[in-house]
Amino acid sequence: MTTQDTTQNAPEAVTEGTATEVTATEGTVTDGTATEGTMADPGTDPAAGQQKARFGPVGWLRWFWRQLTSMRTALVLLFLLALASIPGSVLPQQGIDPAAVSQYYSEHPALAPILAKLSGFDVFGAPWFAAVYILLFTSLAGCVLPRAFRLARSARQPPPKAPRHLGRLPQATSFPSELAPARVLESAAGMLGKRRFRLRTGDGWVSAEKGYSHEIGNLLFHVALLGLLVSVALGGLFGYKGNRLLVEGDTFANTPTALDVFHPGRLVSATDLAPFSLTLRRFDATYITSGSQRGEPASFNAELSYAKQYGGPTHGYDLRVNHPLNVDGVQVFLIGHGYAPVFKVTDGSGRVVFNQPVPFIPIEQSGLTSEGVIKAPDASPEQLGFSGVFLPTEYVTPVGQLASAFPAAEQPRVSLVSYAGNLGENGGESQSVYNLDTAQMRMLDVAPRPLAPGQSITLPHGLGTLTFTGYRQWASLAITYDPGQVPALISALAALAGLVMSFLMRRRRIFVRATSDGGDRALVEVAGLTRSDAAGGFEAEFAELTQAFHEALEAGGAGARVKSKGE
Amino acid sequence: MINPALAQISNAALISAIMAYGLAMLAYACDFAFNKRQVAALTPASASATREKVGQAALVGAAPGSDLADHMFGAEPADISQLADLDDRSGGASGAGSGTVVQSRWPTGSWLRTAFVLTCIGLVVHVAAIVTRGLAEDRVPWGNMYEFIAAITCAAVLILTLAAVRFRAYYMGLFVLLPVVIALVVDVVVVYTPAGEVAPALQSYWIAIHVTAMIIAIGMYIFGAVTTVLYLLAARHEARVAAGRESAVAGVMAQLPGSAKLDQLAYRAILFAFPAWTFAVIAGAIWADHAWGRYWGWDPKETWSFITWLVYAAFLHARATAGWRGKRAAYIQMVGIVCLMFNLVGVNIWISGLHSYAGLPH
Repeated sequence: MTTQDTTQNAPEAVTEGTATEVTATEGTVTDGTATEGTMADPGTDPAAGQQKARFGPVGWLRWFWRQLTSMRTALVLLFLLALASIPGSVLPQQGIDPAAVSQYYSEHPALAPILAKLSGFDVFGAPWFAAVYILLFTSLAGCVLPRAFRLARSARQPPPKAPRHLGRLPQATSFPSELAPARVLESAAGMLGKRRFRLRTGDGWVSAEKGYSHEIGNLLFHVALLGLLVSVALGGLFGYKGNRLLVEGDTFANTPTALDVFHPGRLVSATDLAPFSLTLRRFDATYITSGSQRGEPASFNAELSYAKQYGGPTHGYDLRVNHPLNVDGVQVFLIGHGYAPVFKVTDGSGRVVFNQPVPFIPIEQSGLTSEGVIKAPDASPEQLGFSGVFLPTEYVTPVGQLASAFPAAEQPRVSLVSYAGNLGENGGESQSVYNLDTAQMRMLDVAPRPLAPGQSITLPHGLGTLTFTGYRQWASLAITYDPGQVPALISALAALAGLVMSFLMRRRRIFVRATSDGGDRALVEVAGLTRSDAAGGFEAEFAELTQAFHEALEAGGAGARVKSKGE
Repeated sequence: MINPALAQISNAALISAIMAYGLAMLAYACDFAFNKRQVAALTPASASATREKVGQAALVGAAPGSDLADHMFGAEPADISQLADLDDRSGGASGAGSGTVVQSRWPTGSWLRTAFVLTCIGLVVHVAAIVTRGLAEDRVPWGNMYEFIAAITCAAVLILTLAAVRFRAYYMGLFVLLPVVIALVVDVVVVYTPAGEVAPALQSYWIAIHVTAMIIAIGMYIFGAVTTVLYLLAARHEARVAAGRESAVAGVMAQLPGSAKLDQLAYRAILFAFPAWTFAVIAGAIWADHAWGRYWGWDPKETWSFITWLVYAAFLHARATAGWRGKRAAYIQMVGIVCLMFNLVGVNIWISGLHSYAGLPH
């Protein structure tokens, strides 16, 4: 981060001077982790020290920026973001389950409006949630950018000089060698160079450094997180999602009006929707028929035909869960299914005023008992309405209630309550097709008998008849387009790669000093230091490296001895 | 189709594994009680010597004004290795600590050998239970809570054995097996679900990728959490000993390495678990995109895995922040494991969402 390092102003003095153990270590660990000018830096601004007491606007800005980009703030923001997410998992969310939000309103009439004001039902779109993550990402950017510059700079600089007292470093060893100091250093440079260390040599020492990929990985991780945020924003601006319930045999075109639910991105207009149309030809569901899992679904298959352009050539597709349809980047998913019993309503004058399938909505999954309403506004002399349940496999419970024993339509029945009067559709307010407003209607006295396919109810007072002619199935489809999808995946994988890189790689330095023992032999000192040995293992690497070096010198020394004997 | 005979074998194998783990725990406890290689207890003098050095090392990282030296890159890992070194050195110098233990890769002492062999037998039988369950169902055997717990505990024991050999962390045996056995007993008694098929939503090869990664990451997080609990106990114990006070856990602590070693082991576990978790979440997002049409939808399970991710990220950052490493970071890790467990158990029980098929049997 952009903080000042007490030792960095004079690293040379520390490494070359007779420093204390602690500062010697620190001096070699930090390599010009220079301040970024966001702090009063005595090195660049001598007057800064005196400015400390009185903050001007710029001073305050600097102070604020330094606070924001500090590690402690990042920590606090991480926690805040975690905390801020919790209500989103506890309270029902408008974007995920609007029905649960309505239910929450009816259960907590006093609390719900207050929560709504605080964006409690839209936590992840709430201004306060955005404030936290924007601050976090600003903090992240404010940290990563200076670090990237620093990395680029230090990659161009040679490794630092070797400290004078190598024995004080965390990893250090020394041994005598029969070779002359110069030969020892030559050998050290050769070995370290072969291991792709960056080298710097000086009078009596070799300094080597390796492992920038640790920092590159770390930067990659954080930059990739920024990329992820941008990708999500991209999806929010240019993507859209919609739902459509489709009964077997029905066709729909991908337009905003044809979708039951449509959530366009901020920059999406009606003409941006991919102009495909699709037909649900047939829906099949199979269920487990025996054992403890009886009634649970085994497979769903929606047989579609679709055309990429209106009126274009059609293609077939078997739409299943985990097997979406992709039409020019727009994806179609199977997200629900149910039954649509078909009704024929004849009014008092003998006219057929209604003859179509009516999607019923499942209210439980083990037997797919479903609810729905039928509205016949054109019936005369009075408008007719019916509400009731569809039972795929009817059975009567011991207490005499109707229920469904199995989700497949093995013994399909409907049980309806009949109303006559005013459906209340003239008020101008658009009504849900799944609700019957019975405020201006009266319940008709019809024997409560479940209907089998083909059976009818004859309404009293010559108001008409209703026939349950059969049933079809429906599938609900989600249609989504998200241009941020691929960038998000790339960002996420890059973040993961950066994470692994930064955890596995370590930045380390090896120093070798060779001094003459007075004769033609050398005393060799080797020391190592790691800056980021997260996963551990530098100790082992250092031991291995030292041993290899030692053996190489021994061999060289033996060679020298043989050579001298030969002479 | 379900093969009931194989399913029966799986059930029997899982119970056998629990028994082997139970016996292994007993043997680990006997090893603590009777082994001859008693590690010399920390004396107040050597403890304070360690503390002094550790204090210096901490000072290195915490040089005035440098605490935030690097957002996320910090000088922290250098400190860790230094802490470990100092620990070793002071141990060696004073003749205490791990310096006197024979540094063999394999367990030493008959009790410990017995315990480790039992652990390995338990693990093999545990794996067999999972494999036969998968064969009985002809699918990847992590489609419900029962199977998921069996797999997570298996991962935890696998990680225990690997860590034991790799880092000579045999002392972890008792402490990891304890939660494993408890979880497995609950799994068999309360959560048991007969072998069966899975919902269409789970019929995807992504279950093998997403859930497997989750299992490995969670096993690692659990190992890290157990180690961190020991670290907190050890740190407390060392502080008390250094202050010349009685420590109630001196007997157990004599069997464990110092707090610095435990801290490092726990950190390594999280360093492995965090990328694994990240991968698992990404794989989950890809699958979600494939199955539900969006890669992220703030489903409660997703939200809590995000929260867990944030808390562990905070842990990693805390490790790089002066004044936060050590105990405070350990507490953050504890918060992380609580979030993780809430996601596994609490979200399934109390909050309904798209992942609710992963829940308990009704």
